Amino acid sequence: MRLVLPPGVSETVFQKALQALAGVVGKQWVLATDEDRETFMDFYAAGDADLHVPSAAVGPQSLEEVQAIVRIANEYKVPLWPISRGKNLGYGAAAPCMSGTVVLDLARMNRILDVNERFGYCLLEPGVGFFDLFHYLQANKIKLWMSIPANAWGSVVGNALERGYGYTPYGENTRNICGLEVVLPNGELVRTGNGAMSNSVSWQLFKYGYGPSWDQLFCQSNFGIVTKMGMWLMPEPEATLGLNIQLPNPDDVGWAIDELAPLRMRGVIEQSPSIGNSLRFVASATQRSQWYQGDGALPDDVLLEILKKNNLGWWTVNLRLYGYDEVNEVHARIIREAFRKHVKQEIETVKWHRGDSIENSGAGVPATNALQIINWRGGRGGHIGFSPVLPAASEHVLKQFHSTKKRYEEIGVDYYGSFTLFERYTTNVNMMVYDRDDQEMTSKVRALFKVLIADAAREGYSEYRTHISYMDDVALTFDFNHHSLLRLNEAVKEALDPNGILAPGKQGVWPRARRPARA
Amino acid sequence: MKRNPLGSGNWPFRFGALALSLAIAGAISRGADDSVQKVEQGKKLFQERCGYCHRAGGTGTIMLTRRLGKDRSLLEERTDLTVAYVKKITRVGINGMPPHNRIELPDPELDLIAFYLTRPASLRAADTSKEGAP
Repeated sequence: MRLVLPPGVSETVFQKALQALAGVVGKQWVLATDEDRETFMDFYAAGDADLHVPSAAVGPQSLEEVQAIVRIANEYKVPLWPISRGKNLGYGAAAPCMSGTVVLDLARMNRILDVNERFGYCLLEPGVGFFDLFHYLQANKIKLWMSIPANAWGSVVGNALERGYGYTPYGENTRNICGLEVVLPNGELVRTGNGAMSNSVSWQLFKYGYGPSWDQLFCQSNFGIVTKMGMWLMPEPEATLGLNIQLPNPDDVGWAIDELAPLRMRGVIEQSPSIGNSLRFVASATQRSQWYQGDGALPDDVLLEILKKNNLGWWTVNLRLYGYDEVNEVHARIIREAFRKHVKQEIETVKWHRGDSIENSGAGVPATNALQIINWRGGRGGHIGFSPVLPAASEHVLKQFHSTKKRYEEIGVDYYGSFTLFERYTTNVNMMVYDRDDQEMTSKVRALFKVLIADAAREGYSEYRTHISYMDDVALTFDFNHHSLLRLNEAVKEALDPNGILAPGKQGVWPRARRPARA
Repeated sequence: MKRNPLGSGNWPFRFGALALSLAIAGAISRGADDSVQKVEQGKKLFQERCGYCHRAGGTGTIMLTRRLGKDRSLLEERTDLTVAYVKKITRVGINGMPPHNRIELPDPELDLIAFYLTRPASLRAADTSKEGAP
């Protein structure tokens, strides 16, 4: 990809900035060839990767280098897009929101600085991947479990900052953040929470510190660059008990949510059960053409036939209990009774006890196999995720499910959705899987995405996270008092980042200097 | 301060394989040729950086099985790869596989991985690539 300069920066100034950056990190860690730029673009984009073209990338190895880079960015007014490992797949990967932005790739800052088994926490740099931490815990026989997202290629820090989730009782990853070290857009270094006390012995124990608490202000944010993150890890339980339930009919997701939500809220279930349409298993293991060659979305009768052949219900519920065996058994009985009111078939039970192999334990074990689904359509696959947050109640879940499925069918894309149940809400991740070389399909997907945002907003449903192409659209749905929250975010942005050098457009927050770029 | 374990390569399963390959390497190495060492380094890097997807059971192996058949699905067993091809595909991606940039995977490391995947038959005796994905 040819060079796209940052808005308002001349090529001469830009080249001087790159030279200055090379003076900090070394020439080999400033990447600015056409091929380099391609490697930071959104590989899975639905035909609009060229709206988010980085001008270069810089890879520091230390906090001091990050600070020096930030000072150079201010001097030359060159914007930076920080990434931890750049594997935010389905949401833009490593690509910046605004073309011309320099990617600040923190992958080389990959030290596991501390793991404390007694108190169950770790302190990480942003480049540490899920696989890295997992192997570290395994190799050192540390009895702490991780919460891992479906595709585990990425960064532990990056995922928590983007509010990703996993499937253990510690699954709401952003909630486990306890203490950050952050380089502000002016290069100043701060530590949040108790880390603000230089000799604190509880930085990773007490989240709030004293006065305003800042950890969440650096999540999905362009207010600072996180260079260290404390995170709570779950102590290995004595036992786990998994229950896998097939729900035969599309509307069963409604009563399932209503049965599970009170159990989740009361702590009978402590992790976040996932209710996903079973097509995802078929799509991971096979290709669409093996089942159906017709145009348009997979017809309902064909889908039923596929599910029947694979012995699957319309939805699959996966949930798991963690803790003492006796307690798990009692809770499992309560859950089975709730389901038996509605379905007759056997509920699959998977038991694990401490000392058994980690497979089937329900511990977070990293894998990348979830990525298989992009092969479903054939060709060069891509995917994008539309992820609204709904109240954990059938009236909302059914309404949203039917409305989304209908929208998918209108443009001929197969419905692929899941509901992950938290204490009071459910996150509804809808994947759109496409052949990214099929321009007609990708343009329909892009239009669908905007329609889904509007549909959801009309019902009062917000998104928990979104792709870089839709950050403004989603931000604008937060419209109370003429978007006063956006104005507050912009006021903070202005105060912290007057030159607008950090991640312009992230989550719809633009610095004044860059605001013309708003779509 | 504890270092990232992948820097020192202490995955438990690797020790046995390494000892075996070094023993065989000792038997075949000659003079100042450093290819045995490069194969070992490349193998370690491959397993750390590519192994998530490209060992047995991994998502890349599954995709390659579908595309090229089982016999050509495990990259470590392939004998038809060239250095130029491995390097190009790693940088530009292919089908479902995203590109890898020169910060997460610098050129000297990719060179070693490509050297390992295209190693001559004489350096393949200690093949342990059938171990599962980590």
